[in-house]
Amino acid sequence: MAILRASHLVKRFGPVTAVRDVSLTVGEGEIVGLLGPNGAGKSTTLHMLLGLITPDAGSVELFGMELARHRTEALSRLNFAASYVDLPGVLRVGEVLDAFARLYALRRPRERVAELVELFELGPFVKRRVMALSSGQRTRVQLAKALLNAPRLLVLDEPTANLDPDAGDRIRGLLTRVAAENGSAMLITSHNMREVERMCDRVHFLSGGVIVAAGSAAELAGHYGAEDLEEVFLKVARG
Amino acid sequence: MSQASTLTLPPLGLAARRTRVMGVVRRDFAALRRSPVRVFEIFFWPSVELVLWGFMTLFLRAQRVPFAVTFLLGAVLLWQVLQKASNEISIAFLEDIWSRNLLNVQVSPLSSAEYLAGLVLFSLGKVVFALAVMAALALGLYGFGVTTIGVGLVPFMGVLLVLGWSLGLVGIAAVLRFGENAQVIAWSLVFMVQPLAGIFYPVSVLPAPLRAVSEFLPASHVFEGMRTVLSGGPVPWDRLAWAAGLDVVYLAATVGLFAWALTYARRHGKLSRFGE
Ligand SMILES: Nc1ncnc2c1ncn2[C@@H]1O[C@H](COP(=O)(O)OP(=O)(O)OP(=O)(O)O)[C@@H](O)[C@H]1O
Ligand SMILES: [Mg+2]
Repeated sequence: MAILRASHLVKRFGPVTAVRDVSLTVGEGEIVGLLGPNGAGKSTTLHMLLGLITPDAGSVELFGMELARHRTEALSRLNFAASYVDLPGVLRVGEVLDAFARLYALRRPRERVAELVELFELGPFVKRRVMALSSGQRTRVQLAKALLNAPRLLVLDEPTANLDPDAGDRIRGLLTRVAAENGSAMLITSHNMREVERMCDRVHFLSGGVIVAAGSAAELAGHYGAEDLEEVFLKVARG
Repeated sequence: MSQASTLTLPPLGLAARRTRVMGVVRRDFAALRRSPVRVFEIFFWPSVELVLWGFMTLFLRAQRVPFAVTFLLGAVLLWQVLQKASNEISIAFLEDIWSRNLLNVQVSPLSSAEYLAGLVLFSLGKVVFALAVMAALALGLYGFGVTTIGVGLVPFMGVLLVLGWSLGLVGIAAVLRFGENAQVIAWSLVFMVQPLAGIFYPVSVLPAPLRAVSEFLPASHVFEGMRTVLSGGPVPWDRLAWAAGLDVVYLAATVGLFAWALTYARRHGKLSRFGE
């Protein structure tokens, strides 16, 4: 069963059509990638799925509920992290996680925060302020925040953009493992093709606000007669 | 059964709503604790104003100006209630924009009503604290006890608090609608109220058109009422009832304005564009 079903989404910003016609589904526990060149409309699409942007046309259904009418219920079962959002810098890591544990109305906020601190190896940083952390360390805090409610759908907009290759690799491994344990589905954007190949069951290619190709990395490579996703990307992006 | 349903409270239940509102309060409290400058500010400006007007009072008393004596101190105290209530809630919202945390809040199950309830509760705590400090100073330095305002004090403050929240909401709505540059509206709106509300002088000195406007300003009835009480008159309950009625109307209108501005921001993709 699809936990996310977006149909014919359209979004214009003045003269710019950011998203022309996007339909996609994400199944229970599935990891789906959203690829495409800069300005293709990936973030705009994600923001419509999260209720941050109201679509001009089309509909978003999450967990079988219409997002516009069941906002609180839908949002309590998903979570989000992005390279361009931040957490309150003056707060300590422990305080930030505690605050979000309550915004997600967790039954046992302290225990859950302790679990995630352990999982993301944040122990040494719990008493440090977010603003004192490196951007890679902040990413880990953000991902810990994003897993607090064990979301059934985790939406990630370029989650590893600020990480060095080693940290990126470890975070990918961790995310994949945790998602499998929780049964979380993921919808991810990334410009790192190897990351996408490694993590995603299915990929959607977005260009100029429309989905131009979809399938598993292997299917797409076969279809475009390409070695790997990187080559597919270049072929798709350059028409 | 999925893990999430045992992990979280039923999202629409009362317990979940209370947890989310208190989450906002706890977060803002933690942020305050981590910012000594902010703690300092809570009572710095009110104290400066109080001392300033306190000396003014002493001077006027020496000049044998009638009335003036206690009016000014009472006025400064109540003015701070209005100003703080207004600024605190718009600042709390702006903090989320400044720290680029707004999207995290907006994708959480926290509803706008819960978010605002959290901001209001927290601002209430700060106002009460600041007021306690000022009241102590007024008594210690100038022998002015706020309790001389009598039973009217609580409704006076209530009317001003609610008006302040409405003004704060206008500030937030302005930022949502016009972007961060509209911050200045969030700071300054309350000062537009100041000359019309007859804080330091009776509204009777205003020209007729402005006096008509001040009739529709809940604050002006509070300050008039305060002067009546301090000069030995009874609490003007009829005036207060009118002011409370106006408050309700304005609060409803500004909540509507906020909701409209949020809808606008979502429609035009503004939420992700703050801080750029
Ligand atoms: N809030 C907004 N207001 C105005 N224009 C916007 C807004 N958001 C996106 N756009 C425009 O819509 C188009 C798609 O932008 P979007 O951010 O969705 O692209 P993207 O695929 O996420 O790109 P990137 O890979 O660079 O993150 C761009 O032309 C962008 O300028
Ligand atoms: Mg993007």
